[in-house]
Amino acid sequence: MRYGMVIDLKRCVGCYGCQLSCKAEHGTPPGVFFARVVKREFGTFPNTRLTFLPLLCFHCGDAPCVDVCPTGASHYREGGVVDIDADRCVGCRACMQACPYGARSYNDEQRAYYPGQGLTPYEAARYSEQNVGVVMKCDFCIDRVRAGLEPACVANCAARARTFGDLDDPKSEVSHLIRLRGGEQLQPEQGTDPSVYYLPPA
Amino acid sequence: MSILTTHDRVLADLGATWRPQRQWIEGRGLWLIVGHFLSGVGAGAWLFGAWLDDGPTLLAAIVVVALAGVCHLAFLGRPKRFWRMVRVGSSWIARGFVGMSLMLPAAVLYFLFPTGAAGVLFLALSVAGAALLVVYKGNVYAASKGVPFWNSPVLPILYATYAIRGGLALVLLVMPVAGGGLERHGLALIELWVAVSAAVMLGFYLAVMRQTNLAARRSVTELVRGRVAAPFYLGTLGVGLVVPIAIGVAGLAGPLSQGALALVAALSLVGDFFAKYAIAKAGMYVPIMPAGRA
Repeated sequence: MRYGMVIDLKRCVGCYGCQLSCKAEHGTPPGVFFARVVKREFGTFPNTRLTFLPLLCFHCGDAPCVDVCPTGASHYREGGVVDIDADRCVGCRACMQACPYGARSYNDEQRAYYPGQGLTPYEAARYSEQNVGVVMKCDFCIDRVRAGLEPACVANCAARARTFGDLDDPKSEVSHLIRLRGGEQLQPEQGTDPSVYYLPPA
Repeated sequence: MSILTTHDRVLADLGATWRPQRQWIEGRGLWLIVGHFLSGVGAGAWLFGAWLDDGPTLLAAIVVVALAGVCHLAFLGRPKRFWRMVRVGSSWIARGFVGMSLMLPAAVLYFLFPTGAAGVLFLALSVAGAALLVVYKGNVYAASKGVPFWNSPVLPILYATYAIRGGLALVLLVMPVAGGGLERHGLALIELWVAVSAAVMLGFYLAVMRQTNLAARRSVTELVRGRVAAPFYLGTLGVGLVVPIAIGVAGLAGPLSQGALALVAALSLVGDFFAKYAIAKAGMYVPIMPAGRA
């Protein structure tokens, strides 16, 4: 069993639904994004093209962040999910420097979305779940997956651009899409074997 | 910097094609650079002190490495958990931690009880720990796959060279206190040789990184004509290499005074710090998307 995700760039409309649903699911503080969308405009008017690239932790099969962690806080969980044990993290941030995809965030202090006004009741409730002084990242919503649900970004994708499943199962939808549409990993030259595949936009 | 500004900058960085690494240079990240600098100087000085059997140098090395440990703790997000950093299987940070944990107690014990079989054991353990400290920093950077400018086998050699040079600089600084029992001219020659080696290594490193990939080339550009140019030219090259080498070359004609040697040592240490500072600050992450309008 190896959990993986396929993101169809042809379907993605850059609505940021994945980014927002992830923040709602995990209650991440300002500046911390487990899922995000990068937008770029290419060309010159009138021949321009807008491209969206949804990003998250790629849960690499050979994760450099796990190798450099001095405490074992970064580790592999069931299904190849790369996770951080917040109670073991010392906040050295070596994993952030090792990750070629910028998938990790450092929660350096308790921040509020409305500076000078303190935490809102929602923030106070959600941030109490977060550790300060440690690194944070996407965990493929492993608690939801265990409960038989899809990760929040997949469940809330309005364009159904995301598919989640078992990469090791040749009959799974993710494996089928990768085979049928020629799914590619981002920057395979890094040699990290990501578990997230992108389907070409055209 | 206000919280809002920090937040805005994080958002800007996440959307940018070229993302500068900030974790190991800005804010408390600067403590890590100071810690790396001091640990190299202290470990190098311990190796020289053990070789020359020079008590004041040994004492200075212990103090400097202890300060390096404090700086590392000041950098960590959760310093009270520092003892967990023992996963030496694949982590160079853990190896550095083990090196420091090995060196400091063994060095103190050797300083107090230098004779007999116990003295030999303490010396061996402290030298092993110091050697680990000399090599660990460069490897920590080299293991950073997200920053191509650091991800090079040349960097550990460069940082080890700088650590040796820093250690020798501390010997030269302590020498007036030690009473001048050491052979000055020989040490000055070694200092000149190591300084020239560091300059060659630095040039080689930048030449290699310029050809490696776009992100590494961008870092080199930041270093030679970008936002890191001032500390690089003034600190790393001018103060750290050109002036000490010039004084060292002048010293080939005749022995340098103790004051001149102390000046060379002080300048070398400043250059050592700025080398680490500039290389850390020039680090850029791998671009996720090709350049375009964000």
